[in-house]
Amino acid sequence: MSALAEILFGGLFQGSLYAMMAVGLALVWTTIGVFNFSHGVFMMLGAYIAWQLVELGLPAAVAFPIAVVVMAGVGWILQASVVRPLIGRPNIVLVVVITTLAAGSLIENGALTVWGPRSKQIPALIAGNTTIGGVGVSLHQIAIIVITPLILAALWMFLNRTRLGLALRAVAQNEDAGHLVGLNVTALYGLAFAIAASLAGLAGIFMGGYRFMSPVMGSDPLLKALIVVVFGGISSISGPIFAAYLIGFFEAACSYYFGLYWTPALLFGVLILTLMVRPEGIFASRSRGLA
Amino acid sequence: MNPILSVEGVTAGYGRVTVLHDISLEAGRFGNVGLFGPNGHGKTTLLRAISGLLQPKSGRILFDGQDIAGHSARAIVGAGLIHVPQGNRLFPDLSIADCMALGAYSPRARPHEAENREKVIKLFPKLAERWRQRVRTLSGGERQMVSIGTALMSHPRLLILDEPTLGLAPKIKDELCASVMDISRGGVPLIVVEQDIEFLLELTQQLYLVNHGAVATEIKPGESLDHGEIMSMYFGH
Repeated sequence: MSALAEILFGGLFQGSLYAMMAVGLALVWTTIGVFNFSHGVFMMLGAYIAWQLVELGLPAAVAFPIAVVVMAGVGWILQASVVRPLIGRPNIVLVVVITTLAAGSLIENGALTVWGPRSKQIPALIAGNTTIGGVGVSLHQIAIIVITPLILAALWMFLNRTRLGLALRAVAQNEDAGHLVGLNVTALYGLAFAIAASLAGLAGIFMGGYRFMSPVMGSDPLLKALIVVVFGGISSISGPIFAAYLIGFFEAACSYYFGLYWTPALLFGVLILTLMVRPEGIFASRSRGLA
Repeated sequence: MNPILSVEGVTAGYGRVTVLHDISLEAGRFGNVGLFGPNGHGKTTLLRAISGLLQPKSGRILFDGQDIAGHSARAIVGAGLIHVPQGNRLFPDLSIADCMALGAYSPRARPHEAENREKVIKLFPKLAERWRQRVRTLSGGERQMVSIGTALMSHPRLLILDEPTLGLAPKIKDELCASVMDISRGGVPLIVVEQDIEFLLELTQQLYLVNHGAVATEIKPGESLDHGEIMSMYFGH
């Protein structure tokens, strides 16, 4: 019983973090058609900004939303500086991999210079622990498990129930037609990046309240999010969400039965198998589009 | 009557390739305008330059007296010049309802949304039956209706149609022609690019033959032409 509870709980928790990361990657891919390798750095930066604000004496309830908003600005600026100038060039996918990787590396080392290598931690969303089904869990983790689906549902509502969300979905499907109905395509690209960066920043804040933070804290979640989007298919945002939870459960089960040491190898096994059997991802439809 | 659109000496192309060579034409002085001519001679490029998808290298494009050459597509849509591109690719995974909402995206069109939606449904009752269906699941003719309907939602002051009958069956072509005629009678001037000359002769009063990126021949109202003469223009004398 406690084994099942542990896997279930671990899966939900990891799945939540992966979903927040993977959705941002998918959002940027579907709208702009590029892969953002500085996504992990967004996560780190969100956590560090939140930490800095708390350090300056702001209560967490104020600091966290500010950090998320600042991350939206960071995402927008990054898009404007290393992605937008390249749009329309040949080999854009590969070029943007390089520019976002470079920007990520600069930001990571910038964070190292500004904040130093010593591990930090930010306050938990809710302090304290409890026991569910014989497994001891922190209230912080439970808060994340509850809040994440709400945020993802809000994102879904935004994309499917608002005119701006409709515009984002439209530009993802046909950029020229988007221009011809009068959409501000440049601003929508910026918006996609801003939303992705905010979600990653929030994931960083979640993680920083649970583990120690370091300037490279984003690279492992980015790798996992990569596995998630390959596994679930990157051409929609619902695919990666389901995939994130599946991968979360898989990881939790693996580390329970085979140990942490084997888990990454097994995850990459899933990645390779997916690429061999169904390279478009298990939840993917044939076309690109947000839904 | 002043022309609603006049293209004056526009040169445009892609990269180092120049497609339009100092092309000039006018629309709206004698009613609807038809453009025809062989494929690959700049008709679509001209439309892309007019609607702001392509920045012309030189020349002026006057829409209602304002030079719009080099303006963003969004600004041009905002002014009421609406371009329905070729091939009805549109937004494959959006529903018809979504497409109509997008058509009314510009601030100019927003206040007229309900009224324009009624017009579209009256013009294309078939769309109302499939209102929540995704565009990719529709037939070619229906997709073309969605394209034109989306453009009408943008509250056009000038409507540009690029090969609206491409790939459609003759019966559907006729229906579409009647609908487009209705739009024109409703007071929206048209520029139509079309390979089907009969379609153009029925719909337009003034014709331009576009050849090698320039206007080769202009046919004004009254100078009626028969099919044979047009064919000889197409294929050389």
